[in-house]
Amino acid sequence: MTALAQPGSRNTEFSFTGSTARIPGSLAIWFAILAEMSEFAIMFIVYFLAKVHNPELFSEGPTKLNTLAGTINTLVMLTSSYFVIRAVIAIRSNRQGASTRWLWAAVVCGVIYLAIKVFEYQWNSAQGLDTETNIFYGVYYYVTFNHFLHVGWGSAAIVWVIFRINTGVYTQNQHEGLINIAVYWHMIDLAWITIFPLVYVIR
Amino acid sequence: MSNLTSLARRAVESGGLPQIRFIKYLWLSLIGLTLFSAYIAERADTGFLEVSIMALVLAIKGRIIVDHFMELKHSHVVLRTLMRVYFYVIPALIIIVYLFPEQIARWTQL
Repeated sequence: MTALAQPGSRNTEFSFTGSTARIPGSLAIWFAILAEMSEFAIMFIVYFLAKVHNPELFSEGPTKLNTLAGTINTLVMLTSSYFVIRAVIAIRSNRQGASTRWLWAAVVCGVIYLAIKVFEYQWNSAQGLDTETNIFYGVYYYVTFNHFLHVGWGSAAIVWVIFRINTGVYTQNQHEGLINIAVYWHMIDLAWITIFPLVYVIR
Repeated sequence: MSNLTSLARRAVESGGLPQIRFIKYLWLSLIGLTLFSAYIAERADTGFLEVSIMALVLAIKGRIIVDHFMELKHSHVVLRTLMRVYFYVIPALIIIVYLFPEQIARWTQL
């Protein structure tokens, strides 16, 4: 089931090749998502290049990180994505109250993620690990703090969407803003599921 | 299009229950794959097999989110292709970097 299949939901149409097709949300949010994915791709390429030039540091580095914190944060991000899509399903069924409750649950996940990440940075600091320790931790902090910021403003954007639903702006028939933040939030989730194996798992 | 309209009508009438069950199943699969990756991470050593498994897990997780959470599976082909390719390329790079680190280091020497 897609946004395309929902009666009354407003979707954008665009064409690169002469054929027109619908997309979930607005074209603008997809340009933003592709830009963000490109930014993260550059970071991943930097990670790969730094890794091949410093194999020992990138082999030892993950062993000193808090894998449990990284794992819990992955579960939290995936769960928040589940809550967001439940909010989308709810508003399509004309259940605005349920939609906002699912969105609040996603915001709580965002806050939990941020809290765990702050704990993790403090834990690292207690182990004597910081951005200057070596290039592995420099890349680790650059990538994960960048993602931290995305979770922060993504959570704030969800709160804004909750306000728009509560004030009746987003309804069963017009909720493009909710779809926009939903696909953006999933992009943040995608970035994290890529970061997790790179910095915590693969040695 | 009539099939889609019919699906949409049924989804609204049932409160989206079939879709909710499907999404819940996908979410639990993602959780399971993550725990599996974490288990691999806790093993003493990661060889080619483990790295390949982790790359495959990343590819599967990315595909699930792109197709079903972002709902691109039946949406515009350009967006769907770009997002899907991302989760072919990154897992492939993980394996390539594991297999050929010295060669890549030589090619990228400043």
